[in-house]
Amino acid sequence: MPDTSVMIRDTAKKLLDEKRVDLIIGFERGTLPLRSTPCFVRRSEETERLIWNASCENNLARYLRGRKEKVGIVAKGCDTRSIISLIKEKQVAREQLFIIGVPCHGMIDRRKIEARFDGKEILEADEETERLILKGSDFTEIVNKAEFLHNSCNICSYKNPVIYDILIGDRVEEEQGIDEYEEVKEFEAQPADKRWQSFTNEVSKCIRCYACRNACPLCYCQECFVDSPQPQWIGKTTNLSDTSIFHIVRAFHTAGRCVDCGACDRACPMGIDIRKLTKKIERDVKELFHYQAGVNLEDVPPLAAFSLDDPQQFIR
Amino acid sequence: MKEMKIVKSELASFLDSLTSEYKVFAPVKRDGFVAFQEIHSGGEALLDYVNSKKPPKEIFLPQSEVLFTYRLGGEGLGIEEPTFEDKPMVIFGIRPCDARSLVILDNIFNSQEYKDVYYTNKREKTSVIAIGCNQPSSTCFCTSLGGGPFSPEGSDLLLIDIDQEYVVQAVTDRGEKLVKKHSQFRQVKPRGLSLMQKVTQKAEALIKSKVETGKVKTKLDGMFEDPFWDWLHEKCLGCAVCTYLCPTCHCFDIADEATDRGGRRLRIWDTCAFPLFTLEASGVNPRPTNKERMRQRVMHKFKYFVDNHNVAACVGCGRCIKECPVNLDMRAVLNSILIR
Amino acid sequence: MQDEKVDGWEPKIIAFLCNWCSYAGADLAGVGRFQYPPNTRIIRVPCSSRISPLLILKSLQRGADGVLVSGCHPGDCHYLSGNYVARRKFAILNNLLEYLGIEKGRVHFAWVSAAEGKRFAELITEITEEVRALGPAKELVKKPD
Repeated sequence: MPDTSVMIRDTAKKLLDEKRVDLIIGFERGTLPLRSTPCFVRRSEETERLIWNASCENNLARYLRGRKEKVGIVAKGCDTRSIISLIKEKQVAREQLFIIGVPCHGMIDRRKIEARFDGKEILEADEETERLILKGSDFTEIVNKAEFLHNSCNICSYKNPVIYDILIGDRVEEEQGIDEYEEVKEFEAQPADKRWQSFTNEVSKCIRCYACRNACPLCYCQECFVDSPQPQWIGKTTNLSDTSIFHIVRAFHTAGRCVDCGACDRACPMGIDIRKLTKKIERDVKELFHYQAGVNLEDVPPLAAFSLDDPQQFIR
Repeated sequence: MKEMKIVKSELASFLDSLTSEYKVFAPVKRDGFVAFQEIHSGGEALLDYVNSKKPPKEIFLPQSEVLFTYRLGGEGLGIEEPTFEDKPMVIFGIRPCDARSLVILDNIFNSQEYKDVYYTNKREKTSVIAIGCNQPSSTCFCTSLGGGPFSPEGSDLLLIDIDQEYVVQAVTDRGEKLVKKHSQFRQVKPRGLSLMQKVTQKAEALIKSKVETGKVKTKLDGMFEDPFWDWLHEKCLGCAVCTYLCPTCHCFDIADEATDRGGRRLRIWDTCAFPLFTLEASGVNPRPTNKERMRQRVMHKFKYFVDNHNVAACVGCGRCIKECPVNLDMRAVLNSILIR
Repeated sequence: MQDEKVDGWEPKIIAFLCNWCSYAGADLAGVGRFQYPPNTRIIRVPCSSRISPLLILKSLQRGADGVLVSGCHPGDCHYLSGNYVARRKFAILNNLLEYLGIEKGRVHFAWVSAAEGKRFAELITEITEEVRALGPAKELVKKPD
């Protein structure tokens, strides 16, 4: 079976040659081990740059808005779900897109690798189907790829693209019986003051770089609430109260829209566990309003709708 | 002054004695990363680390700093300036690239023409004790920018790790005074000096990343309208990771936080990557898209700053490369510029 | 009453009341001379759906010890469906705040109609006591760093 990268290149080349798209957004080799980087290809010859591997962790749907061209986009399962959310919110037209869907086995979490090697730098990494061969200045080690995937990948039940114009390679078998809310439940089991302590400890690391917001395909407000001067909702410093409110409200704004692609979590330079909030909201939206973001184009977004008998036991 | 040495096992006691007289900042292990924080005992300092996540610029140019507070009282408007720290400071364990960055920042905040009191107050009373890099990272390219893993620029003392002890170079008078004052510094033996040579040569050879930054400025001189900028910015998210984590980035905003009867004026970090940076009250934005902002970032660091201060606003620490969420690599950018 | 106050602290509660039902209900409490503690400051909004999480969180940040959001009973919204939409938002916010460990009893939601003057007074009395028992707000309060 041909290499996924080769299949993507062939597809991209064909699309550009036949002028079915003006631009291909995919991944190319990064400048560091275990990294890929987004790649924007407009010429047929450049399609050679496109690759696919377990370091293609970014959500490229983030680059779709505001374009007039026809765009071919390389998208894994979670990315395609973001695309559905964007189409639903009329931020991109379905006809504009040629979705190159790629079934995904999960993306590598570099922080887990760092922790495993106690901060020793990885200078070379070779990826095989099941293993990673990692070389440092004075060591070579082979590890099981599956042990070093992002948490969002470990609980993923959408390894295959939900919407696509072409599917690259074979479908991945979806894992059954995953408890995707295990982390949420563990957190809930703690006493209230411990939870607040834990939350504030996490967000105290925040440097308000907004990488989380900018990496998210669904954070696209013309004026983000953090930049509003009148009224100024929160200050711009790393004050704990302001920063806590930033994270609470940003997570709230993704309610019913977030597909848990993990882009926010992956973008954060400080390693803040942002998914702790977004995952909880995702569960509530599922349980309270029976809605899951990005699984089909027909369901009405939950906060744009209502039911006459929505839960209200918390309202006096 | 001739090189001295300090045995590693005595380092903690040296730091302990410093803490009584100075406010000491040292690298400390935080939840998943290293940060420069105030320590109160020598044992808290982390010695085995590559570099801190946030650059030590935050000690002299904090992410938010109160410029003054004001109150509307019965007597009218009262303005209060912050009281400045009297205790001298030591920053210990800084890397040579970061020590250089302080010298670069001095061009802005501590120059002949202008002294920023909030910055100079801290800067002038701080002794800088750097530890050279025996194991540079693959993302380090300090040698391409006039620095090096054992560059003394910006330090008062430079420590070079030769396994059981550090060779100590007193770079300035201030450094010399520190050495003379503390008994933990002793004569270094010739064997130590030759070990030092080996260590420094080995480390310098480890810096594989080289960019011919000297030629970048002349290239940039003629590149403002180059179509290069049209595609460079495409994957950039426009977040503040590279600017906030950069030891030489220094742009700031002035923000007021007010309550009913009073408030305070703050200086806070800002970034040229945000659209808000140049958004004018009229709604006009001279840097309306990511393209203009990316162009300005590169030009500022490698041309405008050189035009104004004869040095690039970059020390090759590699933080921007390591932490960029989309792996936008400044070395690749510079190399692309060189081949235009 | 004097000995119930701790160091003279009195809870400060912000109540966002929808103009057509809850605010009118509060008015009726006044007209009907139904007594309730003076700790609540009322902010009149056109509809409960006007309330975003930012308003609630900002109130807590600025020192409110408790926040109440009250609107028309479902089915009675002056704008037909405002309170239905609001109900969904509040459900998510309420769960999120509780999940993060914000004390239960800081943020309250209610449906109070224009005819429920007595009920409004009773509601405020209950809420004031709940907030008093929790003590001054501490979690989201902004302290200058």
